[in-house]
Amino acid sequence: MFDILDRAVNLARELGASYAEARYHELVSTQIMTRNGQLLGISGGVQRGVAIRVMYRGILSFASTNSCERSSVEKAVEIAVSRAKALSSLAREPPVKELAPARVGRARYAVVPEKPLDSMPVDEKISMLKELFRVASSSCRECKLATLSVVYSETIERKIVLNSDGGYIESEVPRPTAMLNIVLVHPQRGTLQRMIELGGSGGLEIVRGWALESMIRNEVEALDRVLSKGIEPPKEPIPVVLGSEVVGLIVHESCGHPLEADRIWGREAAQAGESFAKRHRIGDTIGNEHATVIDDPTIPKSFGFYLYDDECVAARPKYLYREGRINELIHNRWSAALYNVESNGSARARDFRSEPIPRMSNTYLAPGDHRFEELIEDIKLGLYVKSYMEWNIDDERWGQRYVGLEAYVIRNGELAEPVLNPVLEFTTPSFYSSIEAKGREVRFYAALCGKGEPPQGIPVWFGGPDVRLKKMVVGVAR
Amino acid sequence: MIEPRGIRDLVASRFRDLGIDEWVLVVRSRESTMAKFANNAITVVQYWNSTSVEIYAARDSRIAHAQGFVSSADDCLSMANRVAESLSKVEPSPLYAPLPEPSGKPLQGTVDPRIRDRSDDVLSTLPQLIDEALRSGAERVAGTLEFGYEERTVYTSKGFEGTQPRTYLKAYARAFKGENSGHWAWGSTRFDEHRLAEVGHIAGEFASTNLPVANVEPGEYQAILSPLVVGNLVNTMALMSSALLVLMGASMFAKLEPGQRVFSENFTLVDAPLDSSLPNASGFDDEGVACRNKPIVKRGVFKTLLHNSKTAKRMNAALTGNAGLFMPTPWNLVIEAGSDSLDNLIKDVKRGFLVLNNWYTRMQNWIEGMFSTVTRDALIYIENGEPKALCRRLRIADTYRNVFSRVAALTKDTYSVWWWEVDIPTRSPYILIERARFTRPEA
Repeated sequence: MFDILDRAVNLARELGASYAEARYHELVSTQIMTRNGQLLGISGGVQRGVAIRVMYRGILSFASTNSCERSSVEKAVEIAVSRAKALSSLAREPPVKELAPARVGRARYAVVPEKPLDSMPVDEKISMLKELFRVASSSCRECKLATLSVVYSETIERKIVLNSDGGYIESEVPRPTAMLNIVLVHPQRGTLQRMIELGGSGGLEIVRGWALESMIRNEVEALDRVLSKGIEPPKEPIPVVLGSEVVGLIVHESCGHPLEADRIWGREAAQAGESFAKRHRIGDTIGNEHATVIDDPTIPKSFGFYLYDDECVAARPKYLYREGRINELIHNRWSAALYNVESNGSARARDFRSEPIPRMSNTYLAPGDHRFEELIEDIKLGLYVKSYMEWNIDDERWGQRYVGLEAYVIRNGELAEPVLNPVLEFTTPSFYSSIEAKGREVRFYAALCGKGEPPQGIPVWFGGPDVRLKKMVVGVAR
Repeated sequence: MIEPRGIRDLVASRFRDLGIDEWVLVVRSRESTMAKFANNAITVVQYWNSTSVEIYAARDSRIAHAQGFVSSADDCLSMANRVAESLSKVEPSPLYAPLPEPSGKPLQGTVDPRIRDRSDDVLSTLPQLIDEALRSGAERVAGTLEFGYEERTVYTSKGFEGTQPRTYLKAYARAFKGENSGHWAWGSTRFDEHRLAEVGHIAGEFASTNLPVANVEPGEYQAILSPLVVGNLVNTMALMSSALLVLMGASMFAKLEPGQRVFSENFTLVDAPLDSSLPNASGFDDEGVACRNKPIVKRGVFKTLLHNSKTAKRMNAALTGNAGLFMPTPWNLVIEAGSDSLDNLIKDVKRGFLVLNNWYTRMQNWIEGMFSTVTRDALIYIENGEPKALCRRLRIADTYRNVFSRVAALTKDTYSVWWWEVDIPTRSPYILIERARFTRPEA
């Protein structure tokens, strides 16, 4: 494969491209789907092909083929270059002439599982998933389990990336994932629904770490309480403690996305929107001293793990917000050229049909020093929101809404009655200025983050500690 | 690249050797191009050439499925072997149903040779789209022009063999003027320079709306939803009508029975595979069953879920021609038009909004249909039939039952929209909703 990719890069240069990149990208997956303790089916997937990207007089052109034969790859190169040439005569002045210079790596790396994904027979995995229904059903008290659907997947991603600047990276990352959908029904109070995503890089040790049975037991018991006994949240402004799951989502949406440099410039304006950060500069204040958010692709076992990005630039932790100030944007080499900086190794592509664009990896709020009990101990009347279902944020990443799922009144420093569907709506700076205290433990949550056209769902973690916020008005979804 | 019939021969032969006599093979060969632009400049042009395969097989009520991209005989055999191996490891599935008798045939009129044969000519019209938005008053414009040609071939062990060719074109633009923006989209099987220019024109006109900016308090308001907004909301509704999502507990239709009145009698939602101008048109589904246009909701009454053979058997329902080897899916969506003009709808609004666009629709509870969605682009506040002000980024936070039970009027003009937030091509009028809940974050 190396020879074909090398030929592709050389051919593109011969045809006039000032930059060329060739990526072999393979995703091999298996999926097991169960519903209410019954196996619905097994599905397998293979995505394997070559992606070409070239730059010609400022026009970035991408071509992909699922045929890895030399002739097909050469044809893709010819089309990429010819399309760029055709458009260069039609187009207005391109935003950048070349990608930003970068120190590109030449390396191989692999995530080596402690226990390979194929070391457990499929029928044992099926039994493991089916058992979850028994555990979940027996955890209901006042409610009934209407549905437990589980989709368990294993994917092995292999890549070889070459570019005309001398970059050469080979990598292999296995990832197990699971998606669970729990629906509880109460005869008088309707239904409550929880969706859970789990994921990491590694082998079956990741799956073991999920502790699926105890997790599902805890979730169902909590949902049962909320649905059968949940009350409306207090109407007056109250201090709010957010669990790490909600905090992680907030920093992903209101720090990570708005600091993607291509978005700030407007490259995603017609799709995922722009960013409030276009009105700001590096160093501008966005919150208080607690507002430090880091994006780090190098966290071992993480869902967003990589050591080199898809432009062969070394990955590193990036401090996006640092003590309340905008500190660093998320760049690939195209956006770095716009901003006249170096790429910080954030170019990611989902598969061989996708161009590498600036993406998050594992994004989290830096921890503080409080135990959970200390976060709530002096709250006379407040709200604790541990998990969520519905959320969204506007296309500038400013105004956002989170609807709690597992939530409780805090009364005299202790968790009290469960709360049904509390709604938090705030702006990005109001959240980062409201943090009063942070927990000491960071927890991470998996997701497939969406961006790009065609949309590229890419594995990420988001996370953080539990945090206590100043008083705010809490609504309720009906 | 390997030809579909060659793939069929390889897979059928391998399954015959392994004693598997019930199978489906879907081969999709596609060549497509997309140009993205932003700030009036082209940011990337993308080209794809691929052949993908889906295989379903069943034996003794056990089922297995695989999908992927293939370029060689080895790839095809490897995928068939994976399916066979899975079959040997799984237990009988509660979803198993015998494959249906073939009944479909290819739909005519789904190919525009200008798209299939002259892709460079289509691509060269992109500057016109940008220029049209600028001529309408926009200062900058972003968007996408995508087009391609696909042949989807289905073979089943019941003897079905059919190829559905189609061309498609998707264009959308977001235009900006100062802090204001407008958006429009179009999707079709056919190339039409006039429609393409119209995308830029309408986006530019909305961006140039000359009204003061005002803060309007959250609360309940009348709402005129544009085809973009209706398209986004009914995409989710139509996906929820997939019988598999009902079984998986992710659908508001799980609590409803066909025949039940659920929405306003002014609201009819049709799954329309046989409209040859809409991009996902097809004469047969992935099990070889004839596609047919059918209302999911007719005059407010829930009529049917969407089925493949498996969900139909499981739920004792008739086939609808919506297979999906695993999941039944809608093809194209059409909202039945009304008789009003957009001006008349605006005149009917005492206190409310014209909502041009939305995104990020998320559900708190799929079963109850509780959702919120964020408005974007022009959000025009209307009082006593007069547009008064532009507002910024309110949310609609409500339930599907509430919103679509309050359809008061629809325009007679409809628009075929297809873009990032309307993934299933949708033809819709503007719709006036009597009352919807709008929320806004605290500052």
